[in-house]
Amino acid sequence: MSDAANTKLQAMGKQMVEQVRKGEGPTFETVLRTRSNTIFDEGIGCLRTGDKKEVRKFLSVAQARTFMQTVAIAAKSRQFLKENLHTSIRGLFYQLKFTLGEDIDEDLFTEQAESNALIEDLEVALKIKREDLNLTTDRKGFVAGPMTIMDRFGGDDTLIDLEKQGRSGWSIPSDVDNGMEIKELGADYVLVVEKDALWQRLNEDKFWKKENCLLITPKGQSTRGTRRLLRKLADKKLPIYCLMDCDAWGWYIYWTIKTGSMNLAYLGRDFAVPEAKFLGVTMSDIKEFDFLDKLTIKAKDVDVKRAEEMLGYPWINRYADWVRELKMVLKTRKKIEQDALQGQRLTFVGEYINKKIKNKEWLS
Amino acid sequence: MADDDIFKQFKEHSIAEFFKKNRQMLGFSGKVRSMTIIVHEIVTNSLDACEEAGVLPDLFVQVEELDKEKEHYRLTIKDNGPGIPKSHLGKALGQMLAGTKFHRYIQQRGQQGIGAAACTMFSYLTTGQPTKAISCHKGRKITASIGIDFKQNKPVLDVVEEADALNETGLSFISEFKDVRYERSNYGVYEYLRRTALANPHCAITLIEPNNERTVFPRSVQVNPARPSEIKPHPLGIGTHDLLEFARHNKESRRLSSFLQETFSRVSAGKIDELRSLLPDMDLNKNPQDMTWEEAEAMVKAFASVKWIAPATDSLVPIGREQVEISFRNIFNPEVLVVTERSPKVYRGGIPFMVEVGIAYGGGVAAAGKKGEVMRFANRVPLLFDSGGCAITETIKTMDWKRYDVKDFEEEPIAVLVNLISVHVPYTSAGKQAVSPEEDVMDEIKFAIMEASRGVQKYLSGKRKAHEIANKKKVVSRYIQQLSGDMASLTGEKKAEIEKALTKIIEDKYAQDEMEAEETAEKDPEPDTGIGKTDEGGEEE
Repeated sequence: MSDAANTKLQAMGKQMVEQVRKGEGPTFETVLRTRSNTIFDEGIGCLRTGDKKEVRKFLSVAQARTFMQTVAIAAKSRQFLKENLHTSIRGLFYQLKFTLGEDIDEDLFTEQAESNALIEDLEVALKIKREDLNLTTDRKGFVAGPMTIMDRFGGDDTLIDLEKQGRSGWSIPSDVDNGMEIKELGADYVLVVEKDALWQRLNEDKFWKKENCLLITPKGQSTRGTRRLLRKLADKKLPIYCLMDCDAWGWYIYWTIKTGSMNLAYLGRDFAVPEAKFLGVTMSDIKEFDFLDKLTIKAKDVDVKRAEEMLGYPWINRYADWVRELKMVLKTRKKIEQDALQGQRLTFVGEYINKKIKNKEWLS
Repeated sequence: MADDDIFKQFKEHSIAEFFKKNRQMLGFSGKVRSMTIIVHEIVTNSLDACEEAGVLPDLFVQVEELDKEKEHYRLTIKDNGPGIPKSHLGKALGQMLAGTKFHRYIQQRGQQGIGAAACTMFSYLTTGQPTKAISCHKGRKITASIGIDFKQNKPVLDVVEEADALNETGLSFISEFKDVRYERSNYGVYEYLRRTALANPHCAITLIEPNNERTVFPRSVQVNPARPSEIKPHPLGIGTHDLLEFARHNKESRRLSSFLQETFSRVSAGKIDELRSLLPDMDLNKNPQDMTWEEAEAMVKAFASVKWIAPATDSLVPIGREQVEISFRNIFNPEVLVVTERSPKVYRGGIPFMVEVGIAYGGGVAAAGKKGEVMRFANRVPLLFDSGGCAITETIKTMDWKRYDVKDFEEEPIAVLVNLISVHVPYTSAGKQAVSPEEDVMDEIKFAIMEASRGVQKYLSGKRKAHEIANKKKVVSRYIQQLSGDMASLTGEKKAEIEKALTKIIEDKYAQDEMEAEETAEKDPEPDTGIGKTDEGGEEE
C-alpha cells in the first residue's frame, strides 16, 4: 500500500470538508491537461504538462457530475488501498456502476470511458500514478535475462529469476513499483525488440545469455508497466537499445518510450526514457546490407505522413541523424520490417545487433 | 302593357340575378364559407336582439346533413331573445335591406350584415324551399314559413300555427341549403362559434354538428356588455355614398347647412362658414334631397381640409380586459395570459376606434394543439376569411417575436386575439372579412400587440430563468448524497454533517440567484411605444 497515495487522498478530502464547513462549495485544483499545456522539457528530454492550473468545482452545473464522480473514484481507491486489494480500471468501473438513489434516475457511472478519463484526472490532481491507487492495467510485455525480482503479492514473497522463464519469458506486471523489487541485476544493457516474434527468435538463441543483456518486447506499443520497468532499468544506468520496424508504427513506439506520449504527458519523466537509443532498422541499413534492398516495402501514406509530422516535432528534429533518416523515407518512399533481418539467415539478427552496439551505430 | 310585362319580367329577374351575381360580394363564395356566413348572419342577429332586450344570449345551433352527395343541409338556429312580432316576421327574414340597423350610427355587429333575408333567399334559390321560423314574442308562438316573392322583393309569410308561447321566448330559424358544405376547419362553423364564444363571454352556445357531436361553449360572464351609445357620425368618417344616403333619408332639414349640423357631430355654424369658403360654388341653402354625387364628392373632400374636433369616443364598447381574461381562461386555460386595455384612437383623422389584444400562451393552448393561432375580430365578430390581406394578420406576421422570447411564432403554443372596435371598421372589401391596412389602425394594432407581448415575455423570461435556476439546483443537489458519503469516506468525518452543510450551501447559493433573477425581471423597463395620447374630443362649440 502506497502511504503517499493514501495521504494525498485524505488531504484532498480534508480540504473539501474544510471548504464546506466554511460555507463554500467544494473544489480541487488540478493541472490543465490540454495540448497547449503540453510541453517538451529539453532539460529532461520528455513531454510533460505545463504549469497552467484549473480549479474543479462542485457548484457548477457543467462540472457537478464529474466532480462527484472524481471524488467517488478517490474514495473507492482509498478503500482498495486500505484493503490492500488491486483491481483493473474496468473492475473499478464496475465497483462504481450503481444508481445514485431510488428517486434519482441516474447511475454514478454509465460507461467505462467516463471513469477512465477521471482516473487520469485524479492522477494529475494528486500527482500520483494509478498504480499507486492499486489500479492495474493489462499486461503485454515480456522479459528474459540476468535479473531477479522479489514479488510481494497476495501475502507471499516470491523470488523470480528471469533467466528461468523458459520459452515464454516473464510477463511484466502492470505495477512494477509497489510490492516489486529488483534484487540482482547482472545485465550489461537492455534490448527492446518491437515484435514478439523476434523476441522468441532471440530467446531461442539465448541471445540474452550470450550477450548478457535483458531481452524485452513490449509487443507493439508499450504498456505503462513496461515503460516504468524501462525507466527503472535506465535509472540503474543500463543502456536501453531499441530495435523496431523502420516505419511509422515502429518510430511511434520508440518515441513513446523515449519522450513519453502526449496523452500521458502529465506523468512526465516517470514514464519516459530519454536515454533510449534506436538501433534499427534504419534507412541507412538498406544501403549497407545489400540483401535488405530487395526486402523493402513501399511506404504507405500513413508512414510518409508520420515522417513529415516527426520532422516538425522539436523533440525529434533537434537530432540531425533522425532528420536525415526521415528525409530519406520521404525521398525513397520505402520502409522495412525488423523481420527482414532474418531474410538471409535466421541468426543474422544477433550479428546485426552486436555490430550496431559495438560500433555505436544508432540513432539518438 | 307589353312594356309593363317586360319591366315586371326584368324586375323579377333582376333580384334573383342581383343575388346570384353578387353572391361573392355578399360573402357567399365557396361552399364552406357560405355555410359559415349563413350561421354568422343569423347568430349576429340573435346576439344583437338578445343584448338589446337585456337577455343573456343562449344560442342553439344545429347542422344536419340531409344528403351528402347533393350537399344538402338543414340549419337550425334558436335563440332566447325577444322573438319577432308576427307583423315584422316576414320583413325581418324575407326582405333584403329591411333591417333595423340601417342608418344607425352605432358600434354593432350587424353593421356589415347582409341580413337574414339574404340567407332566406339563398335557401330558396338553392332548394326551392321556404324557410321555417318559430317566433315566441310576448306570449304568442308563431310558426310560419317564409318564402320570397321575387316580383316584388317581398316576403311571402305563411303562418302555419299560432298558439300561446307559455314561458317561451325567442326565435328559431330553420332553413335548408344546398351548394354549401360543413367542415370542421379553420373556416367552418365550429371555429366561428368557438371564437364568437371567446369574444362574447356573456353568451352560451350549443352546437350539434352533422355527426351528432355536441359541443357547448359555456357562458363565463353573467352580465351583458354595456350597450354602445348611438352617436352622430363624424364628418371625417363619411364617404360620398354615405353622405348622399344620409341626405336622401333626411326629413327634418330643408337646407344643406342645417342638415349637416343636424346629422353630423362637431359641425358648428363656424365650421359651416369654413365649408362655405372652401366650396364657393356650392349652394349650402339648397335642399339636401337635391344634392348631386359631384357635390357630395366635393363636400367629402372639403371635410378633409377642415380641422375638426375629434369625435367622442365613449361610443366604443370593448369586450373588456376582465371579460377577455375570464373568457380565455374558460376556453383555453393558458399558462400565461395578457390582455391589453388601451384608450381609443382615431384614424383618418376622425374615426374613433379601439384595439383589444389578448395573448394566451402554453397550458391549454398547447393541450389543444394550437400553434401561432391568430384570432381576428371586428366588433366581437370573428373574421375567419381573407386573412391574407388583413391588417391584423399582416401586423402579427411582421412582428419580431424573438424580441419577446417567442422563438418561432408559428411553432409555439400561442394564441393572439385582436378585436378591432369601431363604429366604422375599415374593411378591405364588401366581404367584410379583413381590415384594410390603414396606417393609424395598423400602428395601434402593433402597439397593442407589443404591449401584450411584453407581458408574455416578462413571464417567459422570468419563467425560463427560474426554470434554469431550479434546474441547476436540481442538477447539483442530486449528487449531494453520493459526494457527502465519499468525502466522509476519504476523511473519516461524519457523512450527515457534511451532507447538511453542503445542502445549506446549495440552498443559499440558488436562493440568491433566484432573487437576483427576480430583480432583473422587475427592472426590465417598459420601452416607450411612442404613441401619442388620444386626442380626446372637447366640448361642442
